[in-house]
Amino acid sequence: MFNMKKVLTAVGLILLMPLALCLAGETGDRLSKESVIEKIQKDKVIRVGMSTFVPWAMKDKQGKLVGFEIDVARQLAKDMGVDVEFVPTAWSGIIPALMTGKFDVIIGGMGITAERNLKVNFTTPYDYSGMSMVAHRKKAEGFSTLDDFNTDAVNIAVRMGTTAEQAARKFFPHASLRLFENESQALQELNLGRVHAVVSSAPMPVFHALKYPDKLFVPLEENFTKEPIGFAIRKGDPDAVNFFNNWIINQHASGFLKEKKAFWFESRDWEDLVK
Amino acid sequence: MLNKSVKPLTLVDLAVVLAVTAGVFFFFVRMVQVLDYHWDWQAIPGYFLFKDPETGRFHANMLLQGFGTTLKLSIWSMGIAFVLGTLSGIMGARGGFIGQMISRFYVETVRNIPSLVLVILFYYFVSSQFLDALGLDQWVRNQSAPVTRAISLLLAESGQINAFVSAAAALAIYEGAYISEIVRGGINGVSGGQWEAAWSLGLSSFNTFRLVILPQAFRRAAFPLAGQFISTIKDSAIVSVISVQELTFQGMELMAATFLTFEIWITITLLYFILTFSLSRTISFFEKRMAIRQ
Repeated sequence: MFNMKKVLTAVGLILLMPLALCLAGETGDRLSKESVIEKIQKDKVIRVGMSTFVPWAMKDKQGKLVGFEIDVARQLAKDMGVDVEFVPTAWSGIIPALMTGKFDVIIGGMGITAERNLKVNFTTPYDYSGMSMVAHRKKAEGFSTLDDFNTDAVNIAVRMGTTAEQAARKFFPHASLRLFENESQALQELNLGRVHAVVSSAPMPVFHALKYPDKLFVPLEENFTKEPIGFAIRKGDPDAVNFFNNWIINQHASGFLKEKKAFWFESRDWEDLVK
Repeated sequence: MLNKSVKPLTLVDLAVVLAVTAGVFFFFVRMVQVLDYHWDWQAIPGYFLFKDPETGRFHANMLLQGFGTTLKLSIWSMGIAFVLGTLSGIMGARGGFIGQMISRFYVETVRNIPSLVLVILFYYFVSSQFLDALGLDQWVRNQSAPVTRAISLLLAESGQINAFVSAAAALAIYEGAYISEIVRGGINGVSGGQWEAAWSLGLSSFNTFRLVILPQAFRRAAFPLAGQFISTIKDSAIVSVISVQELTFQGMELMAATFLTFEIWITITLLYFILTFSLSRTISFFEKRMAIRQ
């Protein structure tokens, strides 16, 4: 009736239980001690990796950082009771820099993608962005749909390593892509009429078209993607994910994020700060 | 050099001057036509210095800060490269088998790696293993305000210090390999007769090397060394890939924010030129003085 084996397994499990609990407790303890949150509290400073991306983060006339992202990071630091230290980083190297500990968190308008998520952990989105497009009036005359741009004859400029690059590859597989390290280079290429269009996160393309109305236009009325934007942190840090997630949920609830978004993305009141 | 008389201007010279002027003029006319660019130079001075509206005092802005960082970076890496290169060059020329092997290994390894790759390797692997573990940035942060200011004046601010140190080290190692070859060549270029003459005067081998050979070797090496120092300033632009806030990086950040692409690139070019040209003038001044004394 009694299966000896089963009994032994049960006894074994009961004996092992305290040990397992003990181990689990220790693991939890160790994880929280190793969390970047703990480190930030200890060092009294949060180091934030970012890159210039109008109007997410940019330098104003006085060389001070301003922008949507910068406001978010400053508020985060304030709520944690620590100083904030921004580490401007070339976009193409920002994930390796996070992984090798050059800073604690990326708050840089980073779109959450599966590919990136394999290398880093993301928080829940604190914002949503979408891909938009600005085109050259002469070169892209009469273009008004995505398909118009998806031909062999079309050249599209994007910033390297961004989700704009991925979106351009996905939506315009036939067009040829020109990759640039910075957005200003891609836009320069467009202003010179060497490419048909630049794909980038909203609202920059629309702003740029407004700046050169005689030369450029916005071919698509609406953004053609919607993508979630999150903080990125090193893998294996559940404490940090939990802390940042809840902070973001709180800021959504309090209206802080909405208010900042309205200021940086829907108004141009900040223009004078920059130029 | 000093006795050379000034040659009279010939028709060929005039033609060359005219052709060059016409070429430059044509280039700029074409550039303006092709680019169809709205020039906006007004904003640029503000990126050097800006006036604090509250206190009325002037503060260094991005371009001047970047210029300062480039200057600091160049001085540090030139200094370390000079020491490294001289040691390795002496080892290569006068060292025993092991010494020569070490020197060759260093020179051949570094010379055959592109500087960009070296800088990135250094930043992500070497500095992550050593500098980040040392906690230099945290140490700087914990110092009193005057100490922190002194360190930021000599090196960089706490947030930037790891990147700065690893950039200076990578640049120094890179330039040191070239300096090593220059020094080795300088030492080997001193004729054997100098050794024999010094020995016959009763100088020991070490003193011969120190007092007779090395000064002559450095005089021979002075010109290529100067060229290498100027290279160091220009090469420092590559460390913008690891986000050191030097001139090129600051310029790119500014361009990303303002889209004043050409104004900023031209300004940056001029700033590098000011650094390199003043260095080369200084060196040629000393060269002339040395020549007179000789």
